[in-house]
Amino acid sequence: MTLLQVRDLRTHFLTRDGAVKAVDGVSFDLQRGEILGLVGESGSGKSVTGFSLIGLVDPPGRVVGGSIRFDGQELVGLPVARMRELRGRRIAMVFQDPGATLNPVLTIGRQMVLAVQAHRRLSERAARALAAERLTRLAIPDAEARLDAYPHEFSGGMRQRVAIAMALLHEPDLIIADEPTTALDVSIQAQILVEMRALARESGTALIWISHDLAAVAAVADRIMVMYAGRIVEAGPVRATLAAPRHPYTRGLLDSLPATAQPGARLRQIPGNTPALLSLPPGCPFAPRCGYADAACVTDVPVIEHDGRMARCHHPLEPRP
Amino acid sequence: MTALLVAEAVTRRFVRRPSLGDRIAAAFGAASDGRAVQAVTDVSLTLNQGETLGLVGESGCGKSTLGRILAGILAPSTGRVLLDGASPMQAGHKITTRIQTVFQDPFASLNPRKRIGDSIAEGPVAHGIVTRAASGALVTDWLARVGLDPDFAQRFPHQFSGGQRQRVAIARALAMRPDVLVCDEPVASLDVSIQAQILNLFLDLRRDLGLTCLFISHDLNVVRHVSDRVAIMYLGRIVESGEAARVYAAPGHPYTRALLASSPRLGLDHAVTLRPIAGELPSPLAPPSGCAFHPRCSMASDICRQERPPLTPRSDGQLLACHHG
Repeated sequence: MTLLQVRDLRTHFLTRDGAVKAVDGVSFDLQRGEILGLVGESGSGKSVTGFSLIGLVDPPGRVVGGSIRFDGQELVGLPVARMRELRGRRIAMVFQDPGATLNPVLTIGRQMVLAVQAHRRLSERAARALAAERLTRLAIPDAEARLDAYPHEFSGGMRQRVAIAMALLHEPDLIIADEPTTALDVSIQAQILVEMRALARESGTALIWISHDLAAVAAVADRIMVMYAGRIVEAGPVRATLAAPRHPYTRGLLDSLPATAQPGARLRQIPGNTPALLSLPPGCPFAPRCGYADAACVTDVPVIEHDGRMARCHHPLEPRP
Repeated sequence: MTALLVAEAVTRRFVRRPSLGDRIAAAFGAASDGRAVQAVTDVSLTLNQGETLGLVGESGCGKSTLGRILAGILAPSTGRVLLDGASPMQAGHKITTRIQTVFQDPFASLNPRKRIGDSIAEGPVAHGIVTRAASGALVTDWLARVGLDPDFAQRFPHQFSGGQRQRVAIARALAMRPDVLVCDEPVASLDVSIQAQILNLFLDLRRDLGLTCLFISHDLNVVRHVSDRVAIMYLGRIVESGEAARVYAAPGHPYTRALLASSPRLGLDHAVTLRPIAGELPSPLAPPSGCAFHPRCSMASDICRQERPPLTPRSDGQLLACHHG
């Protein structure tokens, strides 16, 4: 069942120097209960895509075009008050830095109760019980007592668990998680990856997991989308896509990982740097860095779809022998 | 193999300075809570000429503190560091230019008000490695060697991307002609494609200059890629060390095994292979008794709770601190 249908989403930042097209023509579907990994490097537009979905793009940024249909309802152009009703209740967000998400001067219990009562008429006592139940689900020991603690009394990993527990308060249909484990140690990251997968399975919550870490996405997601310069360049089931990517950029990302190389050998790096969004070349934005680029690549890029996979490339790769 | 840089039983304590309230309470006879953190405890290690030692651990394990001690930036509370048999420090100050450091955050490690050419030339001129007149040529040479346009010498740090800034930081460290380079998470803040570029640069320069390196990182894959030997730290102590290939292929310590099992890898079925470590890193203010890892260890027995296992060599030369290793 399709929960989210995004079509030709365009989010631009209008600056003195021109329009920065942070998200430029993004389309995808998300099913209920599905975990979608959204990967890309800094400036690729992956976070802005997430923020656009939940209506949190700040000026000078603006969704300038396209459509976001969430459970049949159009979100682009939705009045602020209506968006607020959805936000936190049916669509929740988890940010990279739980220290910045949580209010440092309120106890965890207090802010969770406020979050519950923002959307539901529940007594203080019932809201607290709900909060404690969610914390317990996130494997926070002694949840009842921890409600009276302040954010600084938690470790980084525990704070992120609290942030996820808050996102789960209203059992949303969709959680957007923006680099939720980037600031955490590997052992804590692994705990959260495993727990989030289980939670999505149990509750039927769909999850958009935004990350620059291909291996973490491989561990949590069902499907993956790779973004470059504001566009989706490749999408597909996570294992098939990472095992045999069709877009040269995805291939380049995988090849530049030390994990895929012989120890001590030079890594196969992608030449050049990510392009400035204000002065993108015509056609494929990756062409200047791409070993397969030719004259065709400055023209409109074809979308190749096959077997539930998508690549935007004039010269899609065949699987390596 | 000749030992170049040696740490002998190095320990570093940080004592919280008592606040006014604490001092008043103490004056009235209250017991001081003595909140001393032992960031590094009884660490001995050797960096051999020309090798790269990878230092791995999670946040708070003391790896950066140990790196700063080995770099001669921070004095150990007890124990000593020897570079070719002599201490790199005197009266609390670093006295050698033979050890240089590259830090994680190139935004913080470069003076934002200085042109990067001046940042690179400052050390070599101050230490008489190059005359001021010749420093321009030195800067040009180093910018070219780290893959930057020599014209960039006149620019300020904010005009560079993170990857470029890290190149500048590497140039600045190497312009001092060090024998030992301490790299503290040099690629942690970089994008994947930029990380590959910097790691390649590091590998090239290390080979060309015959550098000896201490490479500190939380990223097991990065450390595996650049290191000859690795040391794993947990709560201030080294729990395992040995040849990188061996430690990764046959980790002896339950913590090393658990770290490897919780690091997601491509091409594996994670529903089966991703096994997180239970629990969290204990507070270094109150380390557990016995083996510090025992509260999270599936193999822990009574002896682990009571006695701390010493770091002892196994038959294959790997060092291991575990009662069940």
